[in-house]
Amino acid sequence: MDEASYWDIPGMTMGVSGVGWVGQSLMLFGSEEQKKKYIPLIASGEPDGVWCTAYSEPNAGSDFANIQTRAVRTDSEYILNGQKIWTSCAHRARWCWLAARTDTNVAKKQHGISLLILDMKSPGITIKPIENFAGVHIFNELFFDNVKVPVANLVGIENRGWYHLMQSLAFERHSMAPQFYGGARRIHEYLVKYVRDNRYKGKPMSEDSIIRHKLAERALELETLKMFAYEITWKISKGIIPVYEAARNKAYCDLVMERLAITGTEILGIYSQVDALSKWARLMGIITRMYMMFPGNSIAAGTDEIQKNIVGQFKLGLPRPY
Amino acid sequence: MDFDLSEQQKMLKAMAGDFMSRECSKARVRQLEKDSKGYDPVVWDKMVELGWQGLILPEKYGGMGADFLDLVVLMEEMGRNILPGPFFSTIGECAIPLMTFGRDSQKADYLPLIASGKNIWSLAVLEHSGRFDVGEIACCANSDGKGYIINGEKWFSQYAHVADRLLVICCTGRQGEGITAFLIDAKKKGIKIENIPTVAGEGQCRIRFKNVRASSNDILGKRGQGWKVVDYLAQRALVLKCAEVCGACQAVLNMTQAYAKDRVQFDKPIGSFMSIQHKLVDMLTAVEGLQYLVYQAAWLISAGQKADIAVAMAKAKANEVYQRVCIDAVRIHGAIDFTMDHDLGWYFRRIKDAEFTLGDTDFMLERIAGGIGL
Repeated sequence: MDEASYWDIPGMTMGVSGVGWVGQSLMLFGSEEQKKKYIPLIASGEPDGVWCTAYSEPNAGSDFANIQTRAVRTDSEYILNGQKIWTSCAHRARWCWLAARTDTNVAKKQHGISLLILDMKSPGITIKPIENFAGVHIFNELFFDNVKVPVANLVGIENRGWYHLMQSLAFERHSMAPQFYGGARRIHEYLVKYVRDNRYKGKPMSEDSIIRHKLAERALELETLKMFAYEITWKISKGIIPVYEAARNKAYCDLVMERLAITGTEILGIYSQVDALSKWARLMGIITRMYMMFPGNSIAAGTDEIQKNIVGQFKLGLPRPY
Repeated sequence: MDFDLSEQQKMLKAMAGDFMSRECSKARVRQLEKDSKGYDPVVWDKMVELGWQGLILPEKYGGMGADFLDLVVLMEEMGRNILPGPFFSTIGECAIPLMTFGRDSQKADYLPLIASGKNIWSLAVLEHSGRFDVGEIACCANSDGKGYIINGEKWFSQYAHVADRLLVICCTGRQGEGITAFLIDAKKKGIKIENIPTVAGEGQCRIRFKNVRASSNDILGKRGQGWKVVDYLAQRALVLKCAEVCGACQAVLNMTQAYAKDRVQFDKPIGSFMSIQHKLVDMLTAVEGLQYLVYQAAWLISAGQKADIAVAMAKAKANEVYQRVCIDAVRIHGAIDFTMDHDLGWYFRRIKDAEFTLGDTDFMLERIAGGIGL
């Protein structure tokens, strides 16, 4: 993840749910048939192995357990009705990793949720694109009108999906620190090169002590992120299941990206507003793109505040605030 | 890279934690702040029985021949509990360069006395400006054919007032040039030592040298190569200081976490309020990040690899995190900790000592900048 992100391999970031968490989740709680069918497709890197993930709904953002999309079971299939939003890559995906409500008569809203595999070629699915404020189409809205999902596409145990989802989200967040570290490391290197190659007030920008210290501080943050990325990877490789580390890493990634993006724009100065695709864009537009994307990235996979709630409760043992 | 301690290190950690809570209560630390020595000779001797002063010294000089990483683990525990005393100056700042740059005769003369706890050492490097920089060294050692005569002042030498020996960094040429390290008997004629009153009672001293005689046998390493000695000891001592800070930060976090669970306001534990909870999480992330950077630097040194940038990162991080964690701990505790009776003040008062030991944040950032190709 680190290296792939460093070299900016297309599709390694948002939207490639298959590599990030679907494959790993299926290995853990998928049926044998599901493993045989989907894992080789994911591994192949072919378009038929591309997944999107549908969790969020208009009234279920941070309060994820509030999802209302219904999957009613008949003998051999579920009938799906409802709406999802912020579904990255739905317009490219062959499959969808979907959370739906299969039981409404429950004491807690975390109960009665199931995890389903949805064939994106099924009749009754409408995909509506949403353009983000950077002008990029990643998100979509999804509408389900009596979409049929075979019962064989249930992942894990019916109505126990919440617990599978928590595991799946943990996989998603585990991969973030290595991935963000790789990408940010590359951008930091570009900035170092930029200040060495550009002059201001008769000397290379790299001799300016304010710039030196800003880039040194960003390097220090990157090194800290590296340690977090290696730590979680080390724990998983030792068979230790991370509890709060992924949430900590996600929040720390957000901080690193925000500060690096801001430092980057300060170094490029007024050119940081130039469109990333313009011939006048500096550093191929990577800083502008990063600056336009970091606020959204800090929301994806759980906001900073939600991550901190997780760490507060599961690591520090503090009472739930809500 | 391994993110776990060895079984031996875990035992050392547990033993050190036990020892500190038994022998060095906060009540005792409180007394020591007012004590003229600034440390407890009884505890110092008990540490000798455990072999701590000689932990990383070679066995042939009465030490235990342990790894640098073991010492880092021990320092972390000392910082967690706050153990005032000349351990850092004696071992971290003086014994370590002696082991590397000392001639056999110097090692045989001095190291056994350190391992047995009989000698206390103090590093005399900073001068009136208080800046850690080679260009500031004006204390001179002039050669008169028979030997050297030292004249000048050294500031912020820790525990010099109880030291038997001093490691003195002098210039043997013009200011900032020809730096040479001397091993000097602290009781020598012409040496005057006085305490600098500080907020934390960390044994800071000013030393004045007036026509103090030294011979070429007293030089550590080579004449004119003294800054190499400083650079070498600084890298190692900084990691030890960072480990101490790391232990202190963990203690502050733990006490604040416990308080947030206990303290009830508006009919709820204050730890259930997100503004408090998120502050605690930020503290945790900061402290864990610091711990890994410190251990990375320690590991590189222990493995004999290039560590200067990793050390600078650990120190810059320690400076930032120690201050941040203590300030947030005060905010979360409210007024209760802003008293002499509360333990938090012990940690808060030590921030500036740690921050300016062997290079401040700007110094470290400049070194990192060099390391990333700027």
